[in-house]
Amino acid sequence: MEILSLLGQGFVVASTPLNIALLLMGCFIGTLLGALPGLGPVNGVAVLIPLTFTFGFDATSSMILLCAVYFGCMYGGRISSILLNIPGDEPAIMTTLDGYPMAVQGQAANALAISGVASFVGATIAVIGLSLFAPILARAAIHFGPADYFALYILAFATIGGIAGVDPRKTLLSALIGLMLATVGLDPISGVPRYTFDSFHLYDGIEPIVALVGLFAISEILMLLEKTFKDRPKAIPVGSWLPQWGAIWRTRWAMLRGSGVGFVAGVLPGAGASLGSFMAYVAEKQTSNKKGTFGKGDPRGVAAPEAGNNAASGGALIPMLSLGVPGSGTTAVLLAMLISLNVQPGPLLFERQPDLVWGLVASLYMANVALLILNLPMIGIFTRLMMTPTWALMPIVAAVTFVGVYGISNSVFDLEMMVFFGVIGYLLRKFDVSLVPLVLGLLLGGDMERNLRRAMSISDGDWSILVASPISIGLYILTVFFLALSVWLAVRDHRQTKSERLTEG
Amino acid sequence: MSVRILGVAIFMIAALYTRQAGTYDVSFGDVLGPTVFPIIVGIPMMILSASLVVFPTGQVDWPAPQRMWRQAAALAVLVGFTMTLEPLGFPLATFALITLIGIILGGAPRRAVLLGAIMAPALWALFDQVLGLPLDFLGELFV
Amino acid sequence: MIFRKLTTAKLAAVTAAAVTMTAAPATANECIAPSNPGGGWDFTCRTIGRILTELDLVDGNVQITNMPGGVGAVTFAMVAAERSDDADLIVATSTVGITQIAQGRYPAPLDTMRYLAMLGADVGVIAVDDESPIESLADLNEAMAADPTALVTAGSSGAGGWDHIRLLMVADEAGVEDLSAIRWVQFDGGTDAVTQMMGGQIDVVSTDLGEIAGFVESGDIRVLAALSDEPIPAFPDIPTAISQGVDVTGYNWRGLYTGGDVSDEEYASWVDRLETLYNSDEWQEAATASGLVPIWRGGAEFEAFVREQADVMEQISRDIGVIE
Repeated sequence: MEILSLLGQGFVVASTPLNIALLLMGCFIGTLLGALPGLGPVNGVAVLIPLTFTFGFDATSSMILLCAVYFGCMYGGRISSILLNIPGDEPAIMTTLDGYPMAVQGQAANALAISGVASFVGATIAVIGLSLFAPILARAAIHFGPADYFALYILAFATIGGIAGVDPRKTLLSALIGLMLATVGLDPISGVPRYTFDSFHLYDGIEPIVALVGLFAISEILMLLEKTFKDRPKAIPVGSWLPQWGAIWRTRWAMLRGSGVGFVAGVLPGAGASLGSFMAYVAEKQTSNKKGTFGKGDPRGVAAPEAGNNAASGGALIPMLSLGVPGSGTTAVLLAMLISLNVQPGPLLFERQPDLVWGLVASLYMANVALLILNLPMIGIFTRLMMTPTWALMPIVAAVTFVGVYGISNSVFDLEMMVFFGVIGYLLRKFDVSLVPLVLGLLLGGDMERNLRRAMSISDGDWSILVASPISIGLYILTVFFLALSVWLAVRDHRQTKSERLTEG
Repeated sequence: MSVRILGVAIFMIAALYTRQAGTYDVSFGDVLGPTVFPIIVGIPMMILSASLVVFPTGQVDWPAPQRMWRQAAALAVLVGFTMTLEPLGFPLATFALITLIGIILGGAPRRAVLLGAIMAPALWALFDQVLGLPLDFLGELFV
Repeated sequence: MIFRKLTTAKLAAVTAAAVTMTAAPATANECIAPSNPGGGWDFTCRTIGRILTELDLVDGNVQITNMPGGVGAVTFAMVAAERSDDADLIVATSTVGITQIAQGRYPAPLDTMRYLAMLGADVGVIAVDDESPIESLADLNEAMAADPTALVTAGSSGAGGWDHIRLLMVADEAGVEDLSAIRWVQFDGGTDAVTQMMGGQIDVVSTDLGEIAGFVESGDIRVLAALSDEPIPAFPDIPTAISQGVDVTGYNWRGLYTGGDVSDEEYASWVDRLETLYNSDEWQEAATASGLVPIWRGGAEFEAFVREQADVMEQISRDIGVIE
């Protein structure tokens, strides 16, 4: 009851004309930035910070604007994943797996609508979780130690073999290449530069967004150039511009499952939205892929990761607000912003500044509704975008990705890396190697290594620490269960196709 | 055959990577050190890539030589953009990028030029003016 | 024909751009934060940039550029190579940057740059969980001296970084023989380390107070000692290490440098403007709010201070075996 009255108070704070205007502006800018490949929530939030200073907004209004941008980016990232097969930002990579095949089959409107609604469901569930359980969840999350995080990453990478591609060996290799790339740069624990070839540009490692846009956007241009101009489809068939509500309703369980998985991943500091969408996709595929439709345009393969990544980004606000620990790059920027606005996130924030916290929570509810309303009518506009001829669309995509990368790092070297990754991405795609595990490896590898090393530093070199806590044992049991399930499913499918062949023959 | 070559290439990279890992000293105050994780990654990479050499799967259809020339031209334009961005400034370099990639992708040259002429300044205005990401309008050559 | 189209289109665009440009004032001054957005250096640039504009100490806005890489090394190399005489450029640095230089991890030596001023400092603290049996710095030192491997210590820097060195300085004063036997765990930030300590994974945290102040106020952790000369105004109850007989201070100051070839005149002008900024209410407020203790050192005095600190840091790093 107390929470409801606090929340009501929050809605009063959030409902001033200024805050509503900022909220709508943030949602719109966020969707746009998220949709542009190369620009994601981190950059989106970072470029708007000077604006909040220039206009001298108070802490609550600034946070409402920035969180609206953050949520907007999470909604927007999926658009180019679905329409162009180029993820708008890191958490949107999983959406390419089934979203783009759907668009190719003329289901673009459905894919956009499903992902929009899934984003809404995921984010709303996360905000409900945030309003009801934030302090309790934050207290639970601190019991997750380095060894437990390592077990979580083991679970993620053990199940990666099943996500995409024909040959699981190639998928695993892709993940390993990602992990390999994650070790490039100055090792934060020992200060030793690794695999930098004596170049200072590599000291900070490989920026995931640079690899991401190179691998997907630049390689897409190279793929397009392979086809003769005659046999290339002029524009992908758009089908109906209006989504079918039945199709959305059929993915409801996928959305709910994805939200649950994503929210848990978000609450753990350091795991973040990419892991959330990935785990949501894997979990959904394991439960529902009975006919082998995943990866070929299954609507549930769009619903689950989108619900997952939005639930995770909402969940990531919990450790940020109640512990002051950023769960992702974006929350790190939000945190710095809060501190420079004279707000100390941490255990006392909820008691000391209830107006800010509950105003923010209320504005998140409103932002979700606004984003849903904003995004559904835009489906028609976005699907029409697909009718833009390739010769005009792709050069602009290339220019946008270049400027997105350059505008943040001011480094020509990053642009060269992008082109390099474009070539790598093209070659790997030719060999049927999925690029998604590579990006996940690069995103999660650093944390995976650091948590392993932290665990070993704590135990002073005793490996048994890795299986010393109930959490890590539970995660390893889950890993074994997942692997056993995949093997069993594979064997069953094999038998089925065999018997089908026998009856046909 | 191509897949076997890929396997060999990844194997070589993984082997060099693993070997290089051994050269990083286990330093002061760090139990596991910077060496172990790269080895944990490198060894399965070597095993998996070796298995690709022995049991390759899948076929690769490489594009016709003529298409490869187009791809090479596109890459040259992209690399050219990275080299001319700072000397020429953002709008000019982007104009060249959009126009040339547009032509390589089969757009009519006239329309590609027009597209570049409109989009390059528009993108500059969007990023530099609206979003506040600083981009030079004229590059170092003009200063 | 094509050419004419092109030029008109361009002209139109340039005009449009010029119109918007007058709306936003020209930015001549630039502050580079050699890190990603968020974190100390970014805060230094954004806060100082904002206040410089508010106080009309510069024309228009100060442009903030993030140039991450090698804990500041990439920016250091770029300024040395390309912008050493650019008087409009200031770069954020701190004790962390000087530690890197002292340990030879930057591409050029300390005196490549001119150091302008420090405007505030974060104070290092040694903290334990509120339920820890360790009640005071004396208890901690006793435990470490008896068995250096008994406690797991952690902070936001890697092995040999400033958080680690500060802890080892305390242990050294306490008479711990084998400093390298003390277990050290790196976390990505001070709050990460503190929450892991609350979760029971580690025993002692050494880091800056500012970031973890919330946990001190809420009583979740117990601060054994502040590594400052005087008690911290915001937390007068926290005893200094010196008052407990351990003669160690460990500030993490925030300051700025500019290129090595900037003229004396322009250098002096920056120092003047920064001193005005330091004395303003705006800065005092912003600094205190983010847990900094405002401290001023500027010009020649600051240059000498930086040089001395680098020497000390190099000596400590050598003594405890971080560098050879």
